[in-house]
Amino acid sequence: MPVCTITPLRLATIALAILFAVVDAYELRGEEVVAEAKAGDAKQRGQAVYEKSCASCHGKEGEGVEEFYADPLVGDLTVAGLTEVIAETMPEDDPESCLGDDAAAVAAYIHKSFYSKVVQITAEPPRVRLARLTGNQLRQSLADLYAASVGVVWPTHDHGIKGLYFNGPSKNNDHKRLERSDPVIDFDFGHRGPGEGIDPKDFSITWRGAIRPDATGNYEIVVDSTCSFVCYLGSYERKFIDNHVQSGDKTEFRRSITLSAGRVYPIRIDFVQRKRKTEQPPAKIRLAWKPPYGTEQVIPSRNLVAVSSPATFALQTKLPADDRSYGYARGITVDKQWDESTTNAALEFAQFAAEELWPAYQRRHRNDSNENRGRLRAFLVELATTAFRGPLQDEDRNLYIDKQVDATEDDVEAIKRALLISLKSPRFLYPMLDSDRSKSQRVANRLALTLHDSLPTDKWLVQAVRSNQLEEETQVREAARRLVYDYRTRGKVRELMYQWLNLDQASEMAKDEEKFAGFDQELVGDLRASLDAFLDEVIWGESGDYRQLFLADWTFTNQRLATFYGETWNPLDLHGQGLRRSVSDSERRIGVLSHPYLMGRLSYHNQTSPIHRGIFLIRYVLGRTLLPPQDAFTPLAPDLHPDLTTRERVELQTSPKNCQICHEKINGLGFTLENFDAVGRYRPMERGREVNAAGSYTTREGEKISFNGPGQLAGFLATSEDAQRAFVNRTFQHFVKQPVAAFGPDALDQLIESFKNNNYSIRELLIEIAVVAATDLQEKPNGQENSDESPAKQT
Amino acid sequence: MSHQLNRREFLIKTGISVAAANFVTGLPSLGFANSATVAPKKRLVFVFSPNGIIPKHFWPDETGENFQLKRILQPLADFKNRMMTLHGVCNKIKGDGDGHMRGMGCLLTGIELFPGDIQGGSDTPAGWSQGISLDQRLKNHLQADPATQTRFGSLEFGVMVPDRADTWTRMSYAGPNQPVAPIDDPYQMFDKLYGQTKNRELLASVLDGLSEDFRKVENLVSEEDRHLLQDHLAMVREVEQELKTELVRKEQPSDVGHAVPQLPPNVAEQNDNIPTITKMQMDMLVNSFAADFARIATFQITNSVGQPRMRWLGIDEGHHSLSHEPDTNEESYEKLIKINTWYCEQVAYLAKRLDETPEPGGEGSMLDNTSIIWTNELGKGNSHTRNNIPFVVVGGGLGWKMGRAMKFEDIPHNRLLMSISEAMGYPEKTFGNPNFCGDGPLAGLS
Repeated sequence: MPVCTITPLRLATIALAILFAVVDAYELRGEEVVAEAKAGDAKQRGQAVYEKSCASCHGKEGEGVEEFYADPLVGDLTVAGLTEVIAETMPEDDPESCLGDDAAAVAAYIHKSFYSKVVQITAEPPRVRLARLTGNQLRQSLADLYAASVGVVWPTHDHGIKGLYFNGPSKNNDHKRLERSDPVIDFDFGHRGPGEGIDPKDFSITWRGAIRPDATGNYEIVVDSTCSFVCYLGSYERKFIDNHVQSGDKTEFRRSITLSAGRVYPIRIDFVQRKRKTEQPPAKIRLAWKPPYGTEQVIPSRNLVAVSSPATFALQTKLPADDRSYGYARGITVDKQWDESTTNAALEFAQFAAEELWPAYQRRHRNDSNENRGRLRAFLVELATTAFRGPLQDEDRNLYIDKQVDATEDDVEAIKRALLISLKSPRFLYPMLDSDRSKSQRVANRLALTLHDSLPTDKWLVQAVRSNQLEEETQVREAARRLVYDYRTRGKVRELMYQWLNLDQASEMAKDEEKFAGFDQELVGDLRASLDAFLDEVIWGESGDYRQLFLADWTFTNQRLATFYGETWNPLDLHGQGLRRSVSDSERRIGVLSHPYLMGRLSYHNQTSPIHRGIFLIRYVLGRTLLPPQDAFTPLAPDLHPDLTTRERVELQTSPKNCQICHEKINGLGFTLENFDAVGRYRPMERGREVNAAGSYTTREGEKISFNGPGQLAGFLATSEDAQRAFVNRTFQHFVKQPVAAFGPDALDQLIESFKNNNYSIRELLIEIAVVAATDLQEKPNGQENSDESPAKQT
Repeated sequence: MSHQLNRREFLIKTGISVAAANFVTGLPSLGFANSATVAPKKRLVFVFSPNGIIPKHFWPDETGENFQLKRILQPLADFKNRMMTLHGVCNKIKGDGDGHMRGMGCLLTGIELFPGDIQGGSDTPAGWSQGISLDQRLKNHLQADPATQTRFGSLEFGVMVPDRADTWTRMSYAGPNQPVAPIDDPYQMFDKLYGQTKNRELLASVLDGLSEDFRKVENLVSEEDRHLLQDHLAMVREVEQELKTELVRKEQPSDVGHAVPQLPPNVAEQNDNIPTITKMQMDMLVNSFAADFARIATFQITNSVGQPRMRWLGIDEGHHSLSHEPDTNEESYEKLIKINTWYCEQVAYLAKRLDETPEPGGEGSMLDNTSIIWTNELGKGNSHTRNNIPFVVVGGGLGWKMGRAMKFEDIPHNRLLMSISEAMGYPEKTFGNPNFCGDGPLAGLS
């Protein structure tokens, strides 16, 4: 065993070990070129060596042996790479005993028998597996089940919130003095009032618009107001915080709610400075939130939408986490906790259906016959048809609707019963149980599931299903294109990007206060907003070019960021407000990689971590496999080696041969980012010496590429096939939640090819992925026919 | 300095509740020889009706045990020996807010309202109460002690309370600036009380049909994928079995307290449904007491300045508007008597329901261990006086000597609130504004 300094475990080390330990053994990365073993002789020799010297620790089939080496022997080294590792390090007790031809033979044997991806794919051919809705899919499906009758907001550049200012308490148009779009709600009107023609002692304001959360999770909504106000959220009639009475010194009001990325939630605030005989407080109001990922802040303009929004359903039921053992969320197991959460979710939805959807339905259908409670039945059939992604057959209608309505005289209870059974039905919970549906219906089901994690509910899409207009690939592509232009897709893309950057589980980022004075949680909040805006601009802006993620020499900034990070973070438009595009800096900025929200995370609290950065680049950006480390190591303390740079310390610590198997790959990439310190600020020097940012990478094909500094690294990554493959594969998995190889051995290559042909447009990639998912439909088992005539049977 | 402590002062100083005091002093515990640690339950309901009363047809002329019930109180005739009227108790809280606001916001809190922006018909504007209300204080006491803790502690019922949170619509306060909204939708109250049980019943009744459909959809997938559906179905079956066992247990006679009441279907929250809603809410109140979900309740019929139109009595005008008419308007005067008589009938219905229900696990009826305190934000509608607030107690929860008409001389209502707290086992040095608590709880109630 090579000598390693094993110091007591520290948190950072544990985190590092965990990062390693997630072996994506199951990730299927498509085919690899396997060098054919040349002769049977060589194969037999390899097998013999393996059984003699390796199997005792690695198991007969490379499956691992608990007490020696528990992990399966799988990976993505070439035969040559594997040969080198074996020759240098194996067997562990006597590395000299297996060299040269022996090493080559055993490497070839291992590679062909169980090590390589190709073997794994051939051994267990991937297929599209039946899966239940994931937590997020359930949340989104219920939101769209609600939205089916009211619609959703389309993407808009109209940020902020609309304010109507009235003289006096009346909201009558005659009293309206001002109508404008306010970027945020953060006002101190004092005793002066909001404007001309408005009595400062007697006025009212109505703000109406919507909020658009960046991530799914719990948001604490905070309203600070010295005056009376009522805040509505989720619908313009759903009271959320009721401070109709201004009383004493109470000015702070808080309430939490779970919101979903990709959704737009109407918000309205009625604010009143009431005229009175007694002294009035100065009029102030501020609308803030504490998002799941950050500190309390005024709800930023970019999260406010200044358009009128239909009501939105926000599920509050807690859902258990989904299986992520495949590297992406999949609903492939069922248990009681999950079952109970579906019951609670169904009941929660039923309540909103009874209180909001049912009265609205009755108003719309007041002229319909109501014989035998026909209106209630029709209402429930409409909901079930949406939830089941297709029309109900007579016997389904009997079970899911009529039986439930007939069981009780009470309408609300009937709604509860029908929705409870419908939303716990496999027809709702298993979106792919639709082989008895028409082709167009199935295409729509897949498109909505892939792009929105949801049900097909948009009116035009439902219409296209009815008229069977989703049978041709061009029609499917056109529909996918329309669905991509949607906040729901944007929400899903945002999640993808945070997973790709390994930021999705990120917790608080704190740095050495002395070394990095001014790096506080507000600044971290700004950084996150800057990253979000950057990603939005690259993906949804004019070009939508994936390569810009690495090459962009601009970012988004504000005053606070510019003050901390210096002049290259100055905004392009010096007179603007809030978050806006920065000046260009082709020397020091390499798109998302140099973004401090990422660089800071891939650092310790007072120093950089080339190892974290290297691992991130290998596993996430380049999609390569790494073995877990042999043990937990604490990084060498900088104080003990005052004359070493970070690079030199890492080189020293990872110099043993066994470490180098992986660290040769890791360090070579991590070192190239050494110009970005622990808070992501550019540094030409470290400890009085010029930063050495030279590094290298050996591709999957075995080609070694050298870079000098971050600019060359970015240039390489932007065109790297490994990186493209990893990105396309990850995008596919995140959107489709199935292995891409299940859609054909060439599916991944074809997607990569079209990605290139479409100038690396991420939007086009999403469309093509959706087309693949929606057109490769599994046929009904046992050769049963699809009932394409079903539209005629619609109720 | 020698100072003889009276019993009340002693208890306050030593922090011992009345219930526990029996052990300390070694007195025999009343009729609980076998279960010395279990004190009889004490329950309390504040019933509110608005806009004052017609004193002449409300207050008995006599004092003491020999009194005659006037017209408005006639519905309580059956409970004459178990009721007490308390004349001369006055809400003396001044400060911000009009008469109705202070009448309501200070009724159970005994303390001023905060300055605020709600302008009433007269006086200065005000906000919420500056203190906790007695019902919530008692609930906190009961919930702090494992022996008296219940699922909810207190329940706040309403009947047609306007969907507007303001000083006129709230009488219960969890603390300063913390009004507690009454639940006036019986179905919402049902959900709060029985929602979980009811949902389990619903679930049990739909699962069977679901199992059938599971088997049907199995044909839509391949052999390999069928396993997941089969696992799922097995789980559904298991849950179904568990629910069956659970629900059978609930139907046992021993679990009668947890029986779920039946509500009439589709009753909308509308003026004309006030009688039905009141009955639904009162039935649920009795049920929830029987199940020991709570021992404290408020029951707020409409609100201060409430405007129910009692068309079921042939009265088309709103109650508040009528209450402003001078006594010389005979027609209005008669209508107001009828309206208040109707409120009294509701109190009598609640008393009757409690009296019909045997005390679970104890002796006598639930009314023996429950006190209904019927009250109002005003003494009289057209004068807006908060003197002689109509306080009527029915039932034996407080352990007072009932069957009497009491007359006090202009005493602040804080002292009555203190008497109630003491009778519940939680003596207080003061309650609400201490300036009105000087002479302590009222004498002669027990």
